[in-house]
Amino acid sequence: MERRVSRLDVFIARMQAQKAFLEDVAGRIAGIDGPVLELGLGNGRTFDHLREILPEREIFVFDRSVTAHPASIPDGEHMIIGEIRDTLAFCAPRVKRLAALVHCDLGSGDPTADLAKCAWLSPMVAERTAPGGFVATGIALEMDGFVEEPRSADAIKGNYRLYRKAG
Amino acid sequence: MSRLDSFIRRMSAQRLLLNAAAAHVADIDGPIIDLGIGAGRTFDHLCALFPDRDVFAFDTHLQSALTVLPPPERMVVGDIRQTLPFALPRLGARAALIHNDLGSADPVGNTALAHWLAPAILAVAQPNAIVVTSFLLPFESAVSLPLPEGVRPGRYHMQQLTV
Repeated sequence: MERRVSRLDVFIARMQAQKAFLEDVAGRIAGIDGPVLELGLGNGRTFDHLREILPEREIFVFDRSVTAHPASIPDGEHMIIGEIRDTLAFCAPRVKRLAALVHCDLGSGDPTADLAKCAWLSPMVAERTAPGGFVATGIALEMDGFVEEPRSADAIKGNYRLYRKAG
Repeated sequence: MSRLDSFIRRMSAQRLLLNAAAAHVADIDGPIIDLGIGAGRTFDHLCALFPDRDVFAFDTHLQSALTVLPPPERMVVGDIRQTLPFALPRLGARAALIHNDLGSADPVGNTALAHWLAPAILAVAQPNAIVVTSFLLPFESAVSLPLPEGVRPGRYHMQQLTV
């Protein structure tokens, strides 16, 4: 029997596309020095995948609280707990270097909430990104000195945008 | 394999199993029950699979996406341990299919949950109902149905009551 596309179908397709997109981005940062910043730990699945595909990279994770599965919680040095709007601006002493990749999975699904987030998040992310570094994000950001890369099929299906800082 | 890989496989397995369950319940009358609505993705999939049946969701509170809100008469809000055994008047008929996605990766927690969940399901299910569950439920009279191709054994289970 023919059935309509369900949200489960859409979700599975999106997760597969996100995985492929992140693996593509991991390849692109190969020559760029610096850590990865993961904004939003959530369940920790994406963090777990990033550390698997980027085993040599230092990854710092930001979130207001730790709600992840015990198998995917960063060590204390690399878990920065607090409102990201506050902590990101003051993380330099801990993170030290500018990031090769900032991965931002903070979308709410509500377009107005995402616009508000874009307004405070964009300048903070721009400041913490190394020249030539990338920003992969689920919500559109507006950052001077960045160029949005053409969106791949996986980026579109995974609801991602990819920006690169001039450098 | 990362937890992201594992999660994608689990969701794909869930979909395969629900699609297979739909064929099994073709000859069993009754509504469909989703235990734990979460984001509402599985609930929406059940609605897509069963456009001619009532699909009921149970959860302690409503947290699904705004686009998949069940109608109020089919969203049973409260502690499932309390509500499920008393849901028959609301369901109108015994359920043909129960999908259980409660629990966690902790087997002790799941064993404790299964201890009260199995009799609660029996209270509202058809004698030959299909139960799709992420951990085996200790029914006294039930058989395990074969898993569809592509589902790794142990990840998900399909049981049929033989009451």
